[in-house]
Amino acid sequence: MTPFARLLLATAIALPDVAPALAEGSLEGIHHWVSESEVNALKVITDKLASKGFTWVDSAVGGLSGANATQALRTRIAAGNPPATMQFLGYEGIDWAAEGVLVSLNDLYAANGWEAALPPQILQFVKADDTFFATPVNMHRQNWVWANKAIFDQHDITPPTTWEEMIAAGDKLRAAGVTPLSLSDETWQILEVFESILAGQGGAEFYRTAVMGLDPDALASETMVKAFDTLRAVSGMVDEGIAGRDWAVATGRVAAGEAAMQIMGDWAKGEFLAKGMQPGVEFLCFPTPGEAHFSFVIDAFGMFRNSDPNVTAAQIAWAESIMDPEVQRQFNLIKGSIPARIDVPVDDFDACAKQGFADREAAIASGAMLPGLTDGFAVPPQFAGVFFDVVGAFFVTAGMTSQDAVSSLVAGIENAR
Amino acid sequence: MRRAPSFRDRLARRLPQLVLSPSLVVVFIGVYLFIAWTGWVSVSSSRMLPRYDFVGLEQYGRLWATPRWQTAVTNLFIFTALFLAVTIALGLLIAILLDQRIRAEGFLRTIYLYPMALSFIVTGTAWKWVMNPTLGVQKVMNDLGWDSFVFDWITRPEFAIYCIVIAAVWQSTGFAMAIFLAGLRGIDNSIIKAAQIEGAGLPRIYWSIIVPMLRPALLSVVVLLSYISIKSFDLVLALTNAGPGSATEMPSTFMFSATFRRNQMGVGAASAIMMLMAVAAIFVPYLYSELREDRHGR
Repeated sequence: MTPFARLLLATAIALPDVAPALAEGSLEGIHHWVSESEVNALKVITDKLASKGFTWVDSAVGGLSGANATQALRTRIAAGNPPATMQFLGYEGIDWAAEGVLVSLNDLYAANGWEAALPPQILQFVKADDTFFATPVNMHRQNWVWANKAIFDQHDITPPTTWEEMIAAGDKLRAAGVTPLSLSDETWQILEVFESILAGQGGAEFYRTAVMGLDPDALASETMVKAFDTLRAVSGMVDEGIAGRDWAVATGRVAAGEAAMQIMGDWAKGEFLAKGMQPGVEFLCFPTPGEAHFSFVIDAFGMFRNSDPNVTAAQIAWAESIMDPEVQRQFNLIKGSIPARIDVPVDDFDACAKQGFADREAAIASGAMLPGLTDGFAVPPQFAGVFFDVVGAFFVTAGMTSQDAVSSLVAGIENAR
Repeated sequence: MRRAPSFRDRLARRLPQLVLSPSLVVVFIGVYLFIAWTGWVSVSSSRMLPRYDFVGLEQYGRLWATPRWQTAVTNLFIFTALFLAVTIALGLLIAILLDQRIRAEGFLRTIYLYPMALSFIVTGTAWKWVMNPTLGVQKVMNDLGWDSFVFDWITRPEFAIYCIVIAAVWQSTGFAMAIFLAGLRGIDNSIIKAAQIEGAGLPRIYWSIIVPMLRPALLSVVVLLSYISIKSFDLVLALTNAGPGSATEMPSTFMFSATFRRNQMGVGAASAIMMLMAVAAIFVPYLYSELREDRHGR
C-alpha cells in the first residue's frame, strides 16, 4: 500500500459520512429528533431497518421545531442531492409531493393494507392526488391538560369540563396563592392554548370552517370573538415570569408544584415520567375543556426520488419498518406519543396514552379528529403564521380587544392568500 | 531602444491582479450575483422553492401590508438609532476616561472588552435571565426589600425592544471604546499642550479639538455598529425570539421566518431587497462623502 493510498484509507475511516451514497444498501435520512428519548425511539426503526440488511445514515438537524432541518432539505434539493428520506411535519410533505420529488408508495400501501390501518383523518398528510407519499410513525395529541394532583386535591379542584370552569378554577387557585397555569410568552405555546379554546368552545365543525377552511365569515364570527375573550381570561391565570420560558421548564413548574396546570401536547408527559411521577398518582392528564376533540400531530417520513436501485430498495425497507405494528408500539412507548396505526395493542402503554387511544377512537367515530394548528397541520404555514402573529400579539398586549384581534386575523389571512 | 518587458516585469505588473482575481470572483458570485437572484425571486410568485415567473411588485405589496413587517421596520429604526447613539457616547466616554493615564488601565480595558468575546447568543441568553422579572434584577431588588421595584420590560411588547438595545449596548460598548482609545492614542500630545497654552479648558479641548480629530475612528465605529444592528439576528432570537408576540421582530428575523418557516420565499426576498435598499440609502451617501473628503484631505 502506498503512503497515498494509506492516507486515502485513513481519511475514509475517519470520515465515514463523507460518501454515504456510495455505500451499498444504506439509507440517508434527515430528521430533527435530537433529544435523548427521540434518538432512542428512532433507534427502534433503524434497528428494524438493519435487520432487513440496510444501514441507516443519520443526518439529524435539530433546532427551531424542525425549521433548521427543512432549510437543510431545501439546500439539498436545490443542489440536486436529496436525502433518501425525510421527516415531515404538517404541510411539508404535501408541498414536496406537489413539487413532484417524492416516490409514490401506492404499491406498498395496497400490498400491505396500510390505508385501512390509519385513521382516515390523517390520510391527507400522507396522500395527495391519489398518491401515497409518506408513512406515519406516531401521533401526538396536542390538547392535553397536565395537572399537579397534590395541588388539585389540596384545593379541592376537579378537572374542568368547560372553559368557564377552567377560569373559575384559576380564580380559586389564584386566591389561594397558587399560579393556576404554567405558560410561556412563546407564541406557539399560546397558540396551543388558543386552538384548544377554538375547538372546545366552537366545536369541531367551527374549527373546520374557520381554521382549516379559513372562511372569512367564520373567522369574523362571534364565536371567534368569544374565543379571544376566553384567551384574555386565561391570560390572567399565568405568573409574570413567562418571558421566553421553555415548554419543558413550564412543565417542570407543574411537576414541582409551583403551578397547577399546563396545556401542552403529550410530549410534556415525558417530563413527569422522567421525574419518577406516575399518571393518576402524582400528576393528572385530561383533555382540554369544552367539546371533546382530538387535536393531532403526526410525524411521517417521505421518500425522495432517486435513480440508484440500492437506495430504492432501502426506501421500501424503511417504509415497511416504519409501518411495522411492533416497531410503532416500541417507538411510541419511548417517544410518549401513540402509534399512527390504530391496530396496535395498547396494553403496555401508561394511563394517559390509554386515554389517548380511547379518545382517538371516539373522535374518529364522532368526526372530532382535528389536525393541530400550532405544528402546521390545520393550514399551510403562510396562514398558520397569521394565527401565530395575531394570537401572540393579543396575548401579550393588554390593550388589544378581541374585536381588534379578529379584524387583524381576517386582514392577515386575506393578505397571505 | 527600449528593452522588451521580461517575464518578471510582466509578472510583477500582473501579480496584484492575479492575486486579487479569485476573491473578486468569489465576491461577485457570493454577493452581487445572489443580490440579483434575490431581486429576481422578489418579483416572482415563489413560495416554498424559487419559481421563476414574474408577478410584478405583488410580493412587495403583501410585505408592506403585513403588520409584522411594519413592526420590524419601526424596531430597526428605534434599535439602530439608540444602539448607535448610546454605544458611541458610552464608548467615547469610557475611552476618554481611560485615556487619563490612570492606574490599572490594562486591567480595566480588558474588562470592558470582555463582552465582545461572547457571541450574541450567549449575551442574549444571559440578559434574558437578567431581565426576567422572576429571575433577575427585579427579583434581586424585591428580595433585598425594595418591593415596589419593577423591571419587567422584557414581558411588555412596548418596551421589549429597549431590552435588546440594552444587551446590544452592553456587548458592543467595549468595542467602540477600543477603537476610540486607539484614535485618542494617535493624537499628538503637542496639540493638546498648544491648546492648553492658549488657555482652553479640558472639556473645551476634548469637545473642539480631540473629538473632531476622532472622525476616522467614528466612521469605522458607525459602519461596523450599523451592520451589527442590521444583521442583529442571533441576539433577538436568543433574547426574545422576536416576542412577546412579535413586538421585537427585526427585518432579519422577519426574512428568515417568511422564507424558511412560512413558505413565503417571495415575501422574504422582497424584505431582503428592502433591507438592502435601506442600507444603501443611508450608507452610500455617507461613505461617499467621508471617503471623498479623505482623498481631498491628503
